[in-house]
Amino acid sequence: MRHPAPITTQTATTGLLRRYLFSTDHKTVGLQYFFLSLAAVLVGMVLSLLMRIHIVWPKAAIPFVGEIKPENYLAYLTMHGTLMVFFVLSTAPQSGFGNYFLPLQLGASEMAFPRLNMAGFWITLFAFLVLMAAFFVPGGASLAGWTQYPPLSAVASAGPGQGRGTDLWLLSIGLFCLASVLGAINFITTTLKLRAPGMTLMRMPLTCWTWFVTAILTVLAFSVLLAAAIMLLLDRNAGTSFFVPAGLVISGAAVDHHGGSPLMWQHLFWFFGHPEVYIAILPGMGMTSHLLSVFSRKPVFGYKAMVWATIGIGALGFSVWGHHMFVSGMSPYAGFAFSTLTTAIAVPSAIKTFNWLGTLWHGRIRFTVPLLFSIGFVSLFISGGLTGPMLAQPALDVYLHDTYFVVAHFHLIMAMAGVFAIFSATYFWFPKMFGRMMDQRLGALHFWITFLGAYAIFMPMHLLGAAGNPRRYSELTGVQYVAAMTPLHRFVTVAAIITIAAQFLFLVNFFWSMFKGAPAGENPWQCTTLEWRLPSPPPRHGFGDNVPVVNHGPYEYSSPGLSSQAAASDFLMQDAAANP
Amino acid sequence: MPRISEHVGIERKPKLGGGGPGKIPHRHGYGGGDDGDHGEPDDFLSTKDRLRRYRIGMVVTIIALSTFFAGLTVAYFLRLSVTHWDRDLQKTVRDLRPLALPYARLFVNTFILLVSGITLELSRQGLLAKSEFAAMGIAPPRFKTELPWLGITVVLGFAFLAGQIMVWNILRHQGVYFSANTRSGFFYLLTGSHAVHLAGGLLVLLWALVASSVRMRFESRQIAVEVTAWYWHFMGVLWIFIFALMHFSRG
Repeated sequence: MRHPAPITTQTATTGLLRRYLFSTDHKTVGLQYFFLSLAAVLVGMVLSLLMRIHIVWPKAAIPFVGEIKPENYLAYLTMHGTLMVFFVLSTAPQSGFGNYFLPLQLGASEMAFPRLNMAGFWITLFAFLVLMAAFFVPGGASLAGWTQYPPLSAVASAGPGQGRGTDLWLLSIGLFCLASVLGAINFITTTLKLRAPGMTLMRMPLTCWTWFVTAILTVLAFSVLLAAAIMLLLDRNAGTSFFVPAGLVISGAAVDHHGGSPLMWQHLFWFFGHPEVYIAILPGMGMTSHLLSVFSRKPVFGYKAMVWATIGIGALGFSVWGHHMFVSGMSPYAGFAFSTLTTAIAVPSAIKTFNWLGTLWHGRIRFTVPLLFSIGFVSLFISGGLTGPMLAQPALDVYLHDTYFVVAHFHLIMAMAGVFAIFSATYFWFPKMFGRMMDQRLGALHFWITFLGAYAIFMPMHLLGAAGNPRRYSELTGVQYVAAMTPLHRFVTVAAIITIAAQFLFLVNFFWSMFKGAPAGENPWQCTTLEWRLPSPPPRHGFGDNVPVVNHGPYEYSSPGLSSQAAASDFLMQDAAANP
Repeated sequence: MPRISEHVGIERKPKLGGGGPGKIPHRHGYGGGDDGDHGEPDDFLSTKDRLRRYRIGMVVTIIALSTFFAGLTVAYFLRLSVTHWDRDLQKTVRDLRPLALPYARLFVNTFILLVSGITLELSRQGLLAKSEFAAMGIAPPRFKTELPWLGITVVLGFAFLAGQIMVWNILRHQGVYFSANTRSGFFYLLTGSHAVHLAGGLLVLLWALVASSVRMRFESRQIAVEVTAWYWHFMGVLWIFIFALMHFSRG
């Protein structure tokens, strides 16, 4: 049934600042987060390019940067990790797309706390600027990796970048924690209280389910990181000794701390850090389930199982943090416990994977660009995920920890799969956000180069790691057995250069299509969920007073009953009449 | 529509859409008969729904804060168990020193905080009763029931914070600084974090108090006091927990 004329209230009374900058509109806030992530990913990509070039051509003088010294390399890898994990993977899927589409998919007209939403974005932006400032202070950015282990991170004299650079890092991440929790409060309240009539929890699209569980994880995990960051800041600036033990001598000078425990930081950080990687990947999983269903013209295989698997992954994710600490000297019995729990997490993950395959099986698949990226997600998730149970065994991890094997694992499963989910969401929802289609051929080209590039970059790293190439080393060309691996490193670097260059295809496609793309209708993908009821782009107040009433589940594609009508379509919108 | 300084939150009827299947009124109603742009960004639901929404938001906030303080508490327990090898004594020792808390001042502060919880609860219930009258269409008189109790709560809140500063001063005069040892560090950190969070809640209460003299909707004030009351009670329970924790682990 056609939707009545949109409720547009675009009077000229709201100025530019109110509409585009300080807007409480969830759509604007979502786009703001998205563009912040875009800026962060570009900086992160450039940093990774600099790192890869340095590994293979250590003495190269790079324009604008000069020669990359060891402290520069370490600063780049720290900031690359921080930017990508926090400002890209924890921001774009959840705060970016979630803010834009959660209310729309639930049939709400706004998020629960619009002003809090706006405040959350501005705090995140401020955190990003504080982090970027670390590059420009004396000493430069921090060297300690995104994990910031003390005592290296706790003592300002421990190296360049460990002074103000680290203080800025901690301040930035503290602000990011606060903003994330504020956003999560919004998501949880919206999901619980603002669903349209008829939208039961089990009728929510899986994207909404994953945004919901991710928000719960955020609330529980980020607070612990904030506590740890505050303690580290106090150790650095207030003379306390939460993490710094007695008897340290750094650069010839005895450090004036006593009684702290560096291991405590690891516990606190990884208690946050492991749920963090699920925060990064769960929205992507929801996105993938959603898109595989839409483009196979089939319901999600095992919707309830997917919901319970999501909840299971979220819950179990809090119990496995010790698998990042197998080599820290903890008791082997603790190692056994963490190992068992980590392997247990493979069960709900496998359920999800098989259900994705089951969704595709015998579907009438439409090979659109969003679908390509979703299939890419599944492929990369499997490839990266299979090395997880390997690393979960302490006997193997003792050897593979801090090698390129781990780098390969998390890049494939988190970076590549997560980024593919962001790409698929972008190509999928671009028509709704901007009213125009992205170019599909350019998108397909972007997919193939990025997909093959991802494998070309990270698959060889398994071999490098197994052969003993350690990570976070600026230069190992002087070491015999590592120098022998240089040809493989060269291959990886060349693949990285090509893949990064291919991202320009995406950028060009994105910005060109915003203005010149083919006009998209209300529902170009023929999708059942509520956001496709609204005009593209949606009006200021979304559904406003015309509250949709939901009568169907979110994945009514090719339902048996549909063939009985003179059906022009093979799908049923969620708010279509109850008995069509 | 002219801006009235005290809006009484009467249930508003939903505006129906242009027909078609499925367009039945939401049982709680959607606010407004115009485009919804009242100037209040979250003014798209009735009073009762707004209150429920803010309550859930506060519950989630309290959960987040619990996790934060749980993290600090776990860190404290971890640190209490840290030992090091003493070469002279040739055994593992703990380098913990006992913490002598100024109990007199702390008990006074605790009493002040608990009383403030009671007065805030009285204020909250007064406002709730007032809003129920308002929902029935009876506009109750202004400045009745809530202001005295709310004012007393704010005064007691400031008194608690002043008392905490006094406690820290007592400890400082005894030479127990932030960085002195494990227990002192965590004492300052836990009580300091608690005080900072309490101050935030106090600011909201202060704003609700003075907002009646500037143009602010009654409904917003009632919601502010209601959810801040929950937050305040959580701060009270948290304080008792922190006090008990530092006492029983004083060494």
